[in-house]
This record gives sequence, structure tokens and C-alpha cells, in this order.
Amino acid sequence: MNSSALFAQFQSRLSAAGGVAHWAEDLAQAAEIIATHPALAEQRLIIPPAFAACQPWGALLPLLSARGIRLEEATIPERVADAPAGLSCASLAIAETGSVFLADNALAARIVGMLTLTHFVLVSAGQLVPLLDEAATLLQTLTRPGPQQQHYISLVTGPSRTADIERTLTIGVQGPRALCVIVVATPASDPSLSREEVKDRDNEL
Amino acid sequence: MSYKEHAQANQAQTLTSQPGTARPVPAVHDMPPFAERLQRGLEDENMHRALERFAPSWRQSRQALFEATAAEYGSDYSFAALRQRLRAAKDEAIAHQEELVARFKEQATAAGAVVYEARSAEEANRYIYELCRRKGITLVVKSKTMVSEEIELNHYLEERGIKAVETDLGEWVAQLDHERPSHMVMPIIHKTRQQVGEVLSRATGREISRENVAEQVAVIRREHRQAFLTAGMGISGANALIAESGTVMLNTNEGNGRMVTSLPPVHVVLAGYDKLLPTFADAMTQIRLLARSATGQPMTSYTTFITGPDRPGKEVHIVLLDNGRSAMRADPRFKEALRCIRCAACANICPPYQQVGGHAFGYIYSGAIGLVVTPFHHGLEAAAGPQSLCVSCNACETVCPVEIPLPSLILDVRSRVATSEGLPWLKRLIFGVLARPRLFDLLTRLAALGQWPATRGTPYVRYRYLRLFERLPGLRPLVQLTGWRSLPAFALRPLRDRIGDRANLAAARQEGRRSDELTVCYFAGCMTDRLYPEMGEAVIQILERCGLRVVFPRAQHCCGLPALNSGDRQHGVAMAKQTVRMLERALDESGADYIVCASTSCVVTLIQDYLRLFEDLQLQSWLNRTRALAGRIMDFTSFLLRVLVAQQRLPALRRPRSGSAPVVTYHDSCQSCNCLGLRTEARQVIRDVLGLELREMRDSDVCCGFGGSTSIEHPEIAERLLERKLRHAEETGATLLVSDNPGCLMHLRGGVDANGRPLRVLHLAQLVAEYLA
Repeated sequence: MNSSALFAQFQSRLSAAGGVAHWAEDLAQAAEIIATHPALAEQRLIIPPAFAACQPWGALLPLLSARGIRLEEATIPERVADAPAGLSCASLAIAETGSVFLADNALAARIVGMLTLTHFVLVSAGQLVPLLDEAATLLQTLTRPGPQQQHYISLVTGPSRTADIERTLTIGVQGPRALCVIVVATPASDPSLSREEVKDRDNEL
Repeated sequence: MSYKEHAQANQAQTLTSQPGTARPVPAVHDMPPFAERLQRGLEDENMHRALERFAPSWRQSRQALFEATAAEYGSDYSFAALRQRLRAAKDEAIAHQEELVARFKEQATAAGAVVYEARSAEEANRYIYELCRRKGITLVVKSKTMVSEEIELNHYLEERGIKAVETDLGEWVAQLDHERPSHMVMPIIHKTRQQVGEVLSRATGREISRENVAEQVAVIRREHRQAFLTAGMGISGANALIAESGTVMLNTNEGNGRMVTSLPPVHVVLAGYDKLLPTFADAMTQIRLLARSATGQPMTSYTTFITGPDRPGKEVHIVLLDNGRSAMRADPRFKEALRCIRCAACANICPPYQQVGGHAFGYIYSGAIGLVVTPFHHGLEAAAGPQSLCVSCNACETVCPVEIPLPSLILDVRSRVATSEGLPWLKRLIFGVLARPRLFDLLTRLAALGQWPATRGTPYVRYRYLRLFERLPGLRPLVQLTGWRSLPAFALRPLRDRIGDRANLAAARQEGRRSDELTVCYFAGCMTDRLYPEMGEAVIQILERCGLRVVFPRAQHCCGLPALNSGDRQHGVAMAKQTVRMLERALDESGADYIVCASTSCVVTLIQDYLRLFEDLQLQSWLNRTRALAGRIMDFTSFLLRVLVAQQRLPALRRPRSGSAPVVTYHDSCQSCNCLGLRTEARQVIRDVLGLELREMRDSDVCCGFGGSTSIEHPEIAERLLERKLRHAEETGATLLVSDNPGCLMHLRGGVDANGRPLRVLHLAQLVAEYLA
């Protein structure tokens, strides 16, 4: 299945779960989507610590700053709680369920997705996979004992929700009220990997 | 071994394998007695309206999701295939529990977690309390865990000065109102928004909207923020413990679970051994089944995988709880219940549950699975009342995502209760009579002669004839049973008096037979024989008009279903043997090709329940004999379609005249659809063979409320289910209500008669017979 068909599937599943998925050709488009989102009205965005060094997403930060957005590194929960917007990156996006796969040992990185009101998640098109089974494989790898072991992994499928009272669906209980996933076709500005090559690689999936 | 010895052996086994009955289980505090819980449940109209509304929408979204996935990804992802896979993974985990626990412990410990194995509720509670005490923790935040309800952890901690705050919205509201969850997934489904608003206003001291749910939900975010940031410990359950990596999997929707497990410096996971799964791949299968089965949503918002502490200074403690689980595992039948993933589908689909709610239909664990596991966690006594509510409709087994044979396990619990508490005298008397064919024959004939004051010569025992007797001491409850449902009169001439030569079994064999001639041995069932001989005559008429030879063994008698259904195995097994012996002889003497029965309840007893019964009692030769018979037994509806219609034996039928033809609606008897898997056959007969208009009623496959003796023990429930069924039938505008099981027909006819409804209720065979040219 090619990446646009996979994306369509991902998008419909995520939207059924109350989330929103966007397609961006590159980081510039991703920055555009974030910066123009209503949650950025205050031009404030919480980011995980050391996001700038995170490949390939660090390159997005100067684009956001250039649009006048204040980027705040998450520290303690009190500072992040109910902040209007936060940004994370995912290791996978799963078309079958509309889920994103977030692995972060650092609590400060995780609270971005736990305590902000609108949660933006970046994922590259190459990490968009058809089935949950791929999540199982990655879980196996990431939980293997050793210094790289990931202790806390979440599959996030839409915003926080409850239907406990008279089965009335209400979005935004303890977690974010909105989840916005941006699938970026060519996140790397690396010229060695051309657009065509990315497409070929995706078609092989 | 005699039955008594068996019963004693079973009892002994029960006692050793069930800690619940071997030693007194500490009573759960503040749990009102069953009768009180039942009364409250019956009176709570908001609750059963909410549950009745939920059931159909849940069924629809659940089914649509499974069908869509199968259509998109192929049959490997169908509900049947998924549940087969999860069942296999769970069975593997149960069979190899020791190895899996060792693997899990090794991996979790290597990742920095502490694993503690608690044999009892007390041990688990004490471990958690000691942990709090050592660390000076006085505030604990919790995400929803049924195991903590099972061991009453909150109560234990609070008695010792530690505050435990539930952070799941529903659990929190229940906690504030000093209640227990009434549903494993939707804890406060029994509460209205007005009630929730009241509880929240009282708890916060502020006026919270009674109508605006969004405002109510917002309260919890505000109220709990501080607790999350200051609590010394977070306690969660687990949806799975993944052995290959030592990982705890948690499924939540609200986001509180991730906060409970992330923010406080200590995280305690409380989970039964039954949560073990071998691999991540198995966990994905569980994910594909859990949320769809639970709420009809594709997936929960958050699925979290925790493998040891995430940061220096953080502690993760995993408490593995036994509390009766190893006794379940040692029991060849009940170990299957350890497959449960706590989705509550068995509660969602359960008709009596919808009428009384989870506080009555269960103990701490509710729904069908609650009736099954309660004896092991909280003692047999705790299950005694709730198990009586099961109508044996078998709907739960059809939706269980791990294929637990819930209905038969409930019957096993019922028979343990009957063994330990004894049957009520009336039932003992009835089953005693039923088990003696000659006495039964005599009494039913006498009753047919003496019933005139109650029937005035009509086919019904009616309330208006009995009102006179209401004042007589002791008769009032019996008379009132007919207030909403007339009872059938005994036939003056039972079917066995109307069969003429067909009782001569040997004659069928002696007369020359053509090669294509079929002989059918007709097993009528006692209800048809004594109450509805006209149904039996219709069956015989159809078979003979198709050119078949019909024999009717006069030695036939009740199959024992009523006794077995009430947990009376002593009489049940005697009647099972009697029936098997009688059918063998009939086949032998007549050379019949098939045994046909137009009561699907009896068919299920003959071909399914006997097998389990003889297996349980280790009566190998009876088991083999029953297996050999079962291959020859067919229900009338299947026989009609698969033999008579398929082999073109059915003669030309009268075509319905347009304009005056009746409009039919069909009720799926539980045994027909849930046990025999008949869903399209009768409809094909009505539509395609008879050419009649069939209008589907809502919930055609939901129990009519007869439920065998349940309708006598819990008439309020039987009446409500009947009322719903008849309302749905009437809504279609049909004039004929058809089914293929005499038990349902008796219940439905009684309801129609008592309320003077404009419906004719017929057996499918009677309908077909009307169109024989």
C-alpha cells in the first residue's frame, strides 16, 4: 500500500477517535500547520527537553521561532499543566487504528502529551505502518534490556475522553482535549535522500 | 460410583479446590444482602432504562467494527479468528503459568521493578500498606482497577489512615457516593447526570450543574490536579502482563492512568495471575478485541506499556495476586474462566443484567463472569443469590472475546449452590415427580381432569378464574404468577394418546422399505406432549405428508432439562440416562434414520448438555453412547430445510392469497440461535418456502424471559423481558408471532392471553402445516 492510501486510512481512523491528521510535504508545511492552529493563538508551544538535537525534527524549531512562536522546554508538571499546546514526535503511526507510538523515558518529555490542552505529534511518512503488528515488533526491540531500554511507551489514539456519565462522550478529561498528528513526507533536508527515493521506499512497504 | 458418591466427591473437591468455601471468607464490608440489592436494582428505573438503551447501540457498533475489520484485512481478523487466537494465547499462559511468571519476574526485575506474589487479599493489602508506611505516604492516587475492588484495598488503607483517591471519573463518583462500580467498564452506568451533579456538588461544596455533563467532567480535572502532583503513590491495575519483556500493559481513555503511573515517585501495579500473556503479539490481539467488546469503540485512547521504572528514584512494584486463582486453575472447568480480559461484554448483552444492574447481578465482579468467579474470590455463598438470575440464554458466550463457556460454568455454580444449600422444596417436589415417568403421567392426567376451576375449559390457566383463590393461605404467590402471563392448561388427551400405530416401533422395520424411504423417530419433549399436542400433530403431519415414516416411542419422557437447569444433577442424570436408553432402543427397534425434535431446548440438552454432564461425572460409556446418538438428532427447523426441502420431499404448498395473507414476525429462541447457531433457517422457511411476508422485530434474538425456572423464581424479570418482546413484536404490525421452541411459545402465548394482545403465537411447524395443500 502506498503512503497516500495508508495516510487516508490513518486519517479516517484517527478522526473516528476524535483526533485530526494532517499531511505535510516538508518541515515548512508542518510549521505552517502548527503555527496557524487556533491552539497557538498565544504563540506558546511546549516542547520536550533537548528537542533541538532530535533528528530530523530539531530543524523545525527555527521555522517555528521565525513565525514568532515562543518555544518552552518542558520541565516540571506544574509549568506544563494546561498549557495551550505541546509538541512531541512519534516512532510510528499505525493506520489500522489511527494510533501514534510514543516512547519517552523522560517524564518531562511525556508530560507534554499528558498535560497540555492540544497535543501536536510529528511522524515521518516512512514511519506510517499498516498494522498494530509492527507496533509489537518495535515494542519487542525497545523493551530489550540494556541502556537503550524504553520503560514507558504509549500508543495514543485520539484525545482523552470519557463516557462515564450517561454514556455522553466528553473529550478532554485528564489528558489533552485535542490531538493533532502531522505526517511529514520529507522531514529530512538531507539531499542524499530524494523525494523519489522516499516514494520508492514507501511503495515497498 | 453412585450419584451420591459423585456428589460427595465433587463436594470434597469443591471444598479443597475452593478456598472460598473451605474457610470463611471475610465478608465484604457494607455489602447489603442479595435480596436487598435485587429489590433496589428492580426499582431503579433510570438504571435499567440506561442499560436497555446501551445494549442495542453497543451490539451494533461492536458488530460493525468487527465486520469492517474482517472486510478490510481478511478473515484472519474476523471476530471468530481473533478470539480463537487470544483464547489460544491465554490457554498457553494458563497451562504454563509457572514458566511465564518466572520469565515475567526475571524481565521485570532486570528492568528495575519489584515483583511481589500475594497469595491472598490480606497479603496484597498488607504489602501495599507497608510500602506506604515505610515511605511515609499518606495520599495515594488510583486509576481504575477491579482487583483493588476485589480485595477492598481502599477500605484497608483508609482504616489505617491512608487516603486513596480514585481518579477515573466513574470510580471517583462511586467512591464519593460510597458505592461500588455496577459495571466493570462503566462504573456508574446506574447513575443519571442529575445524581452525578448532586454527588459532585456535595463533594466539592460548590454548585455543579445537574444537567451539563461537560461541566461535570471538567470538575474532576480541577479537583484531581493537586492530588496527582502531591500523592506519594500511584496504584493501577493491568490489562496484561507481558511475560517476554516484563511489561505491564494498561488501557485507559481518560488519561488519568498515565498520570497515576507517571507522576508519583512510587507506582504499584495490582494484577491477578490471569493477566499474564506470553508476547507483545498476543497483547495486540487482545487490544483488537478489548475495546470493541467493552464499549464498541475501536481502541482506547491510551495503551501504555510500562517496563520497570522510567527514572532514577522512581519505584515500580508489581503485586501478583492469587486469591482463589490457583484453585480455579486446578479445576478443569473453571480454569477456562481465567481467560477473562474483563471487557464486560457478557454483562452488556445479558437480558436480566439490564433489568437489575451489576450490584445484584454479581458481587464485586458483575455480569456472567461475575457469577462464575465470585465463588473463588468471595465464597460460594456470595454467588448463591446472583446466580439465580441467569436465564441460560447463552448470549454471553456468543460475544465473549476469549470463548469462556459462561452459561455452563454458571450452571456448575448453580449445582454447587444446590448441593451446598439444597433445593427449595417446591423444586425438589417437581423434579422428583418429573423423574418418575409413571407418576408424572398419572399426575398430569389427574391435573387435566381437575383443572377446570382454573381453566373453565379454555386452554389457559387464567388469573381471572383464579382470583377467588388468592385469599387462600399460601396460594397468593402462585395465583399472582398468572396475573401477567396465563399458564397453559394440561391437554386432556396428550400427544401420546393421539399417535395410534406410530408407537409400534418394530412395525416400521418389518414392513418392506423402499431404498429412498426415510424413517424418523419423533422425540416430542414433555411440554409438547402434555401441553401442546397440536404442535406435535403438526410435526407428524408434515413429516408424513413428505412421505416419511414416523415412529413415536411411547417410553419417551422429559429429557431432564428443568432439573439440570436448576442445578439438580441427581435427578438430571437419571433422566439423561433414561432418555439415552429409550432413544437407543427406539432406533434399534425401528431402524429410524433420524431423531427429530421440534423443541430446540430439548435438542440442546440431548446433544450438548448430556455430553458435558457425563464428562463431568466421568461416565465414559454413557458419554460414548450419547455421542453416537447425537449424530442422529436434528431439530425440526434444520430437518425441514436441510432434509425435507433440500431433498425436495415437501409436497406442493398452498400459496398465500395476496391481501389476506398474514404478516409474520419471528422470535429467535435462545437455544436455536445461541446454542445451535440457527439464524437464517426459519426465516428461509417463512419467506422462501411459504412465501409469506416476514417483518423483523427489534432484538429478535434477545431472550423472551422464559428462562426455565428463572421465570418462577424471578417473575418480575421474566415479566419485563416478556413485555419488551411482545412490544417489539407488535411494533412490526405482524399478526403472527412464530418461533420454534415450545418454552418460548408458552411464555409468549401466556403474555398475549393475559393482556389480550392481538397476536397469534405459533410454532413454525404449525405455520407450515397450515399451508399443506
